[in-house]
Amino acid sequence: MSGPGQLGKKQAESGAALLIAIFALLLISVVAIALVVTSGTDAALGGNYRTSTAAYFAGVAGLEEARGRLLWKNPDYINNNKPNSFPTLMRPDGLPTWQLTDVFYITNPAPGETVDPLSANPADYPDTEYQTEFGWPLAGATVNKIASVSAVAGLPGPSYKWVRITPATEKSLAMDVDGDGLPPDLTTKLYYDPANSVLGKPSPGLIAPVPPTPVPATAVQVLEITSLAVLPGGSRRLLQYVVAPVVISPYVPTNPPNPNYAEFANPPGNNQPSFPAALTILGNNPTLQVPSASSYVIDGRDSCSATTPKASVNSIGYTDSTAYPMILGQLNPQKSNYPGYPMAASPGPPPVVYTPTTPSIPPNATAPPSAAVVSSVPLSWQNPAMLDALVQDINNSADVVINKSTANGSDISSRAAAMSVSNPMTIVINGDLDLTGWHNVGYGLLLITGALRYDPDASWNGIVLVIGQGIFSSSKSGTGGIQGAVVVAKTRDTAGNLLPTALGPAFFGSQTSYGSNPGFGIVYGSCYGQTVQGTSVFSAQGPLTYKVLSFHEIPLTN
Amino acid sequence: MTIFLIICAAMFGLLQLSQQKYSSESQMSGAFQEARLGIDQVVRDINISGYPSQNMFSKAPSTASYALGPVAWEPGYPSNPNCSVGSTCTTPGDYDVILETDIGDGNGVSWIRYRLPANETTLYRGVVPKTAGGDPVTATSAAGVMVPLVSNVMNNPPGGLLTQITAEYPTLFPGGAPQPVFQYSCATPSGSQPCTSAAAAGYNAPKFVSDVDVTLIVMTQTPDMQTGQLKLMELSGRGHRSNPMN
Repeated sequence: MSGPGQLGKKQAESGAALLIAIFALLLISVVAIALVVTSGTDAALGGNYRTSTAAYFAGVAGLEEARGRLLWKNPDYINNNKPNSFPTLMRPDGLPTWQLTDVFYITNPAPGETVDPLSANPADYPDTEYQTEFGWPLAGATVNKIASVSAVAGLPGPSYKWVRITPATEKSLAMDVDGDGLPPDLTTKLYYDPANSVLGKPSPGLIAPVPPTPVPATAVQVLEITSLAVLPGGSRRLLQYVVAPVVISPYVPTNPPNPNYAEFANPPGNNQPSFPAALTILGNNPTLQVPSASSYVIDGRDSCSATTPKASVNSIGYTDSTAYPMILGQLNPQKSNYPGYPMAASPGPPPVVYTPTTPSIPPNATAPPSAAVVSSVPLSWQNPAMLDALVQDINNSADVVINKSTANGSDISSRAAAMSVSNPMTIVINGDLDLTGWHNVGYGLLLITGALRYDPDASWNGIVLVIGQGIFSSSKSGTGGIQGAVVVAKTRDTAGNLLPTALGPAFFGSQTSYGSNPGFGIVYGSCYGQTVQGTSVFSAQGPLTYKVLSFHEIPLTN
Repeated sequence: MTIFLIICAAMFGLLQLSQQKYSSESQMSGAFQEARLGIDQVVRDINISGYPSQNMFSKAPSTASYALGPVAWEPGYPSNPNCSVGSTCTTPGDYDVILETDIGDGNGVSWIRYRLPANETTLYRGVVPKTAGGDPVTATSAAGVMVPLVSNVMNNPPGGLLTQITAEYPTLFPGGAPQPVFQYSCATPSGSQPCTSAAAAGYNAPKFVSDVDVTLIVMTQTPDMQTGQLKLMELSGRGHRSNPMN
């Protein structure tokens, strides 16, 4: 029982429990809030960095999708024969021919959202950069759009919103490309010329041929790819590539033009051959050994030509003017086996009969021998470092790359099982290639950086580049040969080091001895290789890839 | 009342504990954030290094108009580009790199230098416009150019501190040796290889640098308030040059 004193004490302490409870709750709340704030800050810090990086890679993914879809052999090539086809943007041989105001978007909206670069609604990701770059509004451009293919199996792809592909100008790049000192040109499209030279040195680079200056036949159009990535958190990145198609063509047009070259069907529109000869040996002090068998030819007449006279190039091309006597000495015993350019018209009344020059080498038999006349080859194909860069380009875009000290035919068969006349491939052998005993036919582009030991039981339809050690050695007997073109160049010493300034002595012949039946030899053909848009051309004539000439990030102002 | 005081003491103890923890974690977060931003900045600059290259021009432009390569070098800049990364180059080096690129600030090509001076714990960043005939080391060494980017970077601390850190974090400093901030890979025919490896022989000049691994070991301002232990963390990133070499 409680007495009166106890009751008073209880009354005095009444509510203390509530105060204690409130106080305890207050403290616990403070601790809890502190913990929440700490973890919230951590999450925000991590999130900021993560979204910034993710936006960057999303932007790069957009650039790569566009770069890939410019390539003719991509199943999602932008100019394929599906309903969304844009033949005015790409030539039949896969090279770009964009007009100044052509704009092409690949859009990649997230589910439920709208991506419209032409919209004025900020929620639709409008392209506010175009006018800044080109100097006129997007409304004045010819705009095409297709959807991204980045989503796979219903899963969303990278979070870029759109990729824009346009031609490039000095204005769009904000660069004085031609060094004329004038403000950036708004209307001259830029090209990439692998045959460009500066002060006599090979220097492939952008050119800005202001009309009426013609675009060099060796030049290809440069495109600008711009990608906007926006992540759900709001991180935005705008990235840009400048790209150009990589075309394998060790030839620059002669002046005056070679009349027979006008007959070439491929590449369409250029009226020039891709190679100066059926066999081109680059560099000083080359070795040429040809077999004595009468069945062996190196024929510069284009086996794909249906015109009269046949389109033709030299049988053998070279860049060392002092090699002329050696080459002539090799060919003269059976000079009729080495026909080619020029095709001489018979005198008298029609029908005119055209006869190839034999042996067909520069300087040709109808011109006085001159040390200055050699094959018309770009300087970039006469420089070890630049040829090495080309080898890297081919490596980067090849269907099959075999890194082996000595590969053989079965390596090709196993790694390129799908190779066929309708599916030519680019195959790179980083090492020697021994084709002994390989009784097959290859199609496409074959690059060997070591020595090629060729067995004429094997055939190749397309381009054979022996660039590196520069050794093409044949032995054995067989009935095969090469239809297309062959280039041999020595860019590296035997230890594999890049030669400093000049190409080394390339070798074409037999390091042992030719077989009694060394095959049919080499016949120039501009239609062997791969098929681009239904037109058979050299595998090199469809671009191997689109080379990234530059990459940078455009600062966003909003 | 006694119970109340005990509860209060326990709560205040808990509060102090959480305060200490919060303070330590805040410092950790701060250091982490600073290092992350630093790495993000370095990687961004590496990604766009080498822009624009010489092949963006049809005539030989002024050397100030284009990037000679992804990184500037010493000795021999610009005429002799043959120093070897990891051996004869003083820059690019383990704690010093000078990138060449146009960062879109309207000044054209710039030299962007990142440097962790020996026995210091602050990573500096400096940007100066590139000048024809200029020297990137001299230009970026001018007063006021280099500004702090990340503090408490412990990759190459003073000797005594290194000994203390190594004792507590032996795995972060194998062999008790300072750890490089920048490690370089070079483009070779067989792909990207560490510039100091045998596979990169002949391809270890600065112009071949294709990737840069960035490693930052950062420490909080003060030791952990509970344990008194130094608190370190290691962050890494990798920048890849996409622009072609000249």
